[in-house]
Amino acid sequence: MALDAFFGPAAAPARPVRSEPRLVRGVLIGTALAFLAIFLVLPLAVVFAQAFAGGVQAWLDSLVEPDALAAIRLTLMAAAIAVPLNLVFGVAAAWCIARFEFRGKSLLTTLIDLPFSVSPVIAGLIYVLLFGLNGWLGPWLRDHDIQIVFALPGIVLATIFVTFPFVARELIPLMQEQGAEEEEAAIMLGASGWQTFRRVTLPKIRWGLLYGVLLCNARAMGEFGAVSVVSGHIRGETNTMPLHVEILYNEYNMVAAFAVASLLALLALVTLVVKSLLEWRYAGELAASRRH
Amino acid sequence: MNIDIQAITKRFGAYTALNSVDLRIGSGELVALLGPSGSGKTTLLRIIAGLETPDGGTVLFGGEDALQRHPRDRQVGFVFQHYALFRHMTVFDNVAFGLQVRPRSQRPAKSVIADRVNELLRLVQLDKLATRYPSQLSGGQRQRVALARALAIEPRVLLLDEPFGALDAKVRKELRRWLRHLHDAMGITSVFVTHDQEEALELADRVVVMSQGRIEQVGTPTEVYRQPATAFVYDFLGDANRIECRVEGGQVRLASQGQPLGGVSGQAGPAVVYVRPHDIELQPAGDDQATGTVRRVYEVGPLVRAEVDYAGTLLEVAVPADDRMPFRAGDRVRVVLRRGLVFPADRPDRPEPMALVPFRGGASGPVVQRL
Repeated sequence: MALDAFFGPAAAPARPVRSEPRLVRGVLIGTALAFLAIFLVLPLAVVFAQAFAGGVQAWLDSLVEPDALAAIRLTLMAAAIAVPLNLVFGVAAAWCIARFEFRGKSLLTTLIDLPFSVSPVIAGLIYVLLFGLNGWLGPWLRDHDIQIVFALPGIVLATIFVTFPFVARELIPLMQEQGAEEEEAAIMLGASGWQTFRRVTLPKIRWGLLYGVLLCNARAMGEFGAVSVVSGHIRGETNTMPLHVEILYNEYNMVAAFAVASLLALLALVTLVVKSLLEWRYAGELAASRRH
Repeated sequence: MNIDIQAITKRFGAYTALNSVDLRIGSGELVALLGPSGSGKTTLLRIIAGLETPDGGTVLFGGEDALQRHPRDRQVGFVFQHYALFRHMTVFDNVAFGLQVRPRSQRPAKSVIADRVNELLRLVQLDKLATRYPSQLSGGQRQRVALARALAIEPRVLLLDEPFGALDAKVRKELRRWLRHLHDAMGITSVFVTHDQEEALELADRVVVMSQGRIEQVGTPTEVYRQPATAFVYDFLGDANRIECRVEGGQVRLASQGQPLGGVSGQAGPAVVYVRPHDIELQPAGDDQATGTVRRVYEVGPLVRAEVDYAGTLLEVAVPADDRMPFRAGDRVRVVLRRGLVFPADRPDRPEPMALVPFRGGASGPVVQRL
């Protein structure tokens, strides 16, 4: 009772301490929803509306047209080469950074982030300057009849550069948090380096790895800037899907442009759904490993 | 399998974790590496395992150079402080791992592995939990899985890093006793690291007390407790009061006021006397005979503890709780040191016991007027 006199009667709080008044909540939630609608949902809806503006048949026709098919094929091909390579590079880089202490480690970490901080156009230009006809290695490549710029190799190189950080960035914090004790335990039990990686490390990081690969893939298929510089925009040959969309758009071929765009958007949506599913799964796993 | 450690040195940058450490561990012994954090005990354990490489020195397993062998070929069972169980594998698969990764020519048949794993799980009393994942187990259960996993490879040496560190007090005590039984039954040469002196004294055949990358003393639990080689060992193995004093004519006297504390046979000179809280007696005394003032009295389980101001030094005193502490804060008392160990300042590695009665001569004062 003496405490009551001191602190005042202990009245039941009208609402939880950390919740805001109804009006504030309404305004904040409303603003967020409106923002989402205008900047994310509406554009996406427009893409699909425009794509199907000429009917399903017109949409289908603009996708099976030879140049569009070539663009789709090239995009898939570039992703199919770039993503596995970045998977290997990413795991190796993350392994290096998370497991070992060495001079220049922070420099390496910064370098891995470089593709995120450099404009994709510059990434493309680097390869033109290196491998282009007037580039450093251009004459040598021409003499040996190797075509890099304005061909598939250039597109793959630019894609690899731009998507390099995704897998490594995803794995480094995960591997740092998990530590190396389980690997040490495996070695003490007689496992070889490969057995340790395959049976202990890989299962530990698999969800993070899958997540990183998905993001890497989405970016690899959607990359515009860097690829645009090295591609040369040869229709039916060096045009990827994003470049094809741009060409069609510039030719005022709206239905075809949006049809191809809708395919890219669909890919993004599928990636997002899979990613959400993974996150949900992966969160449980992470929580379990923390409990452990 | 006896282990012979010779002149092992390990540096991390400018920091010396181990400074020329020598240690012999007999076959079938259970040895504790005891010391505060930073004493190098875990580093030494990891060097024996092969998880760290020493900068100098050798490790011999049964006379054979172990450093030449990759850790995976040393046949060492290692139990990690946080168990390091494979989180994505069941208890069964965790224990079976060491057998499953053997080269095909040495790998037992599936059914043999299963029998061996089940036998080990029965040994650690976890046969009913074989299909569980580590996250579904309690700390004590995980510890036992880790032990079964380490034993599965039939190790020649078993190493345990702070095996009970992450468990609560009750489970820790049970597991400790159980581990001792297990060791007695299997007889594997075992080394464990701990910072808990009670654990080391209770569990080990021999205790290696370490400090700052050096071994301070090696001995049986009784030896290190009763005859500590250095002040550090005395201090680390139990509560200790440290009193600055000087030795003079067979007497130990307080450095500040010259009051006689007890007798000692050593040479004259400045020294430090260490006294356990339960070796101090408090007696009621009038103002003329009093040598200390009680500052605080509190009860901790079976003991009553008191803090006593003794000529400027704060002493911790412990008496069994059933001898009701007859004093309260503020009381004047006579302090009698029943037993102590004197470390001369110029020979800190040659401690001498302090007796209640002066060693020789007719010293007077409160010490001889025993009640």
